[in-house]
Amino acid sequence: MSLAWISKLTLAAGLVALPVTGWAQSVNISYLTHWSPETVALLEAAAKDFSKQNPDVAVTVRAVPFGDLLTTLRSQGGSSDGPTIGGIYDLWLPELAKDKLVAPAPDAVASEVKSAWPAGVVSAASVGGTLYGIPNEIDVYALNYNKELFKAAGIAAPPKTWAEFKDVAAKLTDKDKGQQGFGMINSWAAGVVHPFASLLVSNGGNLVKDGKPALDSPQAGETFALYEDLIKSGASVPAMATADANTTGPFLDNFVSGKTGMIIMANWWESALKTGMGDKFANVATAPIPVGPSGDKPHSISYSWMTVVNAKAGEAEQKAAWQFLGWLNSPKSGKNGASAMSDILMSMGILPSRSSDIEAHKDKLGSEFLSGYVSVLADARPFPVVLGGQEFSESLQQTLEALQYGQVSAKDAQANAQADATSILERAAK
Amino acid sequence: MAKAFRASAGIMLAPAVTLIGVFVLVPMLLTIWLCFQDWSTQTPFSEASFVGLGNFQEIFGSTSVGRDFKTALLNTTIYTALSVVLILPLSVVFGLLVYQREVAGGTALRTVLFSTYMVPMIAVALVWSKLYSPSEGPLNQMLGLVGIGPQPWLSSPRSALVSIVLLNVWQQVGYFTVLAIAGLTQIPGSLYEAATLDGANGREQFRFITLPLLRRTLLFSAVIAIINAVQVFEPVALITQGGPVGSTNVLTYHIRRVGIERAQGGLGSAMAVMLMLSLIVCVSALFALVNRRDSE
Repeated sequence: MSLAWISKLTLAAGLVALPVTGWAQSVNISYLTHWSPETVALLEAAAKDFSKQNPDVAVTVRAVPFGDLLTTLRSQGGSSDGPTIGGIYDLWLPELAKDKLVAPAPDAVASEVKSAWPAGVVSAASVGGTLYGIPNEIDVYALNYNKELFKAAGIAAPPKTWAEFKDVAAKLTDKDKGQQGFGMINSWAAGVVHPFASLLVSNGGNLVKDGKPALDSPQAGETFALYEDLIKSGASVPAMATADANTTGPFLDNFVSGKTGMIIMANWWESALKTGMGDKFANVATAPIPVGPSGDKPHSISYSWMTVVNAKAGEAEQKAAWQFLGWLNSPKSGKNGASAMSDILMSMGILPSRSSDIEAHKDKLGSEFLSGYVSVLADARPFPVVLGGQEFSESLQQTLEALQYGQVSAKDAQANAQADATSILERAAK
Repeated sequence: MAKAFRASAGIMLAPAVTLIGVFVLVPMLLTIWLCFQDWSTQTPFSEASFVGLGNFQEIFGSTSVGRDFKTALLNTTIYTALSVVLILPLSVVFGLLVYQREVAGGTALRTVLFSTYMVPMIAVALVWSKLYSPSEGPLNQMLGLVGIGPQPWLSSPRSALVSIVLLNVWQQVGYFTVLAIAGLTQIPGSLYEAATLDGANGREQFRFITLPLLRRTLLFSAVIAIINAVQVFEPVALITQGGPVGSTNVLTYHIRRVGIERAQGGLGSAMAVMLMLSLIVCVSALFALVNRRDSE
């Protein structure tokens, strides 16, 4: 057979195969996340498994830094060519739903979620009773401390009250070694606001009560004063607290290098600690948030993440996206009765929220680091999910950072925070 | 004849005018229209509602919206002023050094200076964020060698903006040095020869020949440096996210946060219009100042 004939036959075979191949991958959906490359690789592997069972659906994964996630969703989510699926923080949901950027979950998905997830997590993924996303992770704050530094300072146990907390922070502070007792965070809204809110709820207060800001309460006043005391005493050094766009930076470096004795952080940073500390990760322990003078018992702040579907995507893409998400979060997709999503989350030390996933990962959730978080989950208060919540959070971040750097007193910080929150939430509710 | 000429000129100009109209004028006019509206960037323009000067009252008001905008405006002004004040004299100094004909390796020096301008900002941001690291950063380690204690750089509201300015100067100075060299080449060598014969020393030659004849080049450099500085976005987005305490929150970054992240299109447009007006006033004042000196 001549070369010309071989070429013609190859071309003909290609043309015949083309429509079949095109049909086999007829729906392309994309998944936008802020995860690291290692975690993205796990999600891509799961997507490949899904495509093996569903050859007509191809899933591509795209990652952006956390700081750019909301902007990317807002700027690209309004188009049918934007990401089909997005991983979002529950605080963003009310506004994304109001702007009709996210699609309500189909009835079958909604009933599955309502039966398989705890009611509190389902409500954080809903607006006005309509479910918009499939919840996946839940994050809760607790006190992390360095056991080696505690031992060196002669401290036997983590602080249970604010009085003990201030005392321990002072004992752990050693200016000559560049060591601070308690590490605050700045330049990152959640990193600033969530630890403050955890101390506030552990003092019997709230950020928002009945839809209205409650930062003018005596409990909030005591929490602002606690921050002022920690800064003025030198137990917290704001210059050691900076975060960058990837939610890492000096605040993390100082904790992993043993220059910060205690910090309030969420469970998801387990993987960052392990990477940064290696074997020394064994020095990190978890304890409940110390109880303030007006508090009854330890509480902390929790928040959840979910995956939503682009309301502007085509009908076939939306259908394929819900099908993929349903599979990814079902007990059939992972190992030993866990969902593939929960396996991915657990690789980062993040708590899954589906009841069957918690059961399937019982052993790993019992680790010294994570069990401390699991134990405080029951008494955790969800971060208020309200219209204007992101702006409110960013505004409180500015006020707390001003307090950290000594630009305002605790009293003025409290007054500013309440006034700003009132105007922001009122405007957002209009 | 004149009619035919006008018609053909119109035809020749039409493509360029249309492109400028569609891609420059329409967005500008749209932004000006939106600054008087209450509008979410996620909704069609038809849903915008007229609020008059409400957005401007808000951005200059005493609430967090106004406070954040005024801080961002001030930060942008400081960033721009510091950048221009540092870049222009440095570019002239480097230009004079590199332009010396008798110095061997002048071309290589020019290439090295210009190369910083060609490095992508993402790489510059990554490297400089590590250079500035308070604990393991090479800058603090070098300062430690000469007995100076560690500096907070990006971790303090007092030094964060200046640290970003230094990064900008490092990256941009090469480009402006090339502009300065281009200006220096336009000065006739005979003027220096005449001045030398008249007994003028190097300092006098610089003051009475080089600087006055570089004025047009420096004006151009200043305008470009101002425009570049006002548009600063990447180092803030990549390194500081506007913090700490909003000390590096510049207007472009703030407009992106308000207009896109919070979808407050009307407020974002009002801020963009204020930025545009500030830039126009600043550049016009600079031209007026130089023109007055020329006429004197």
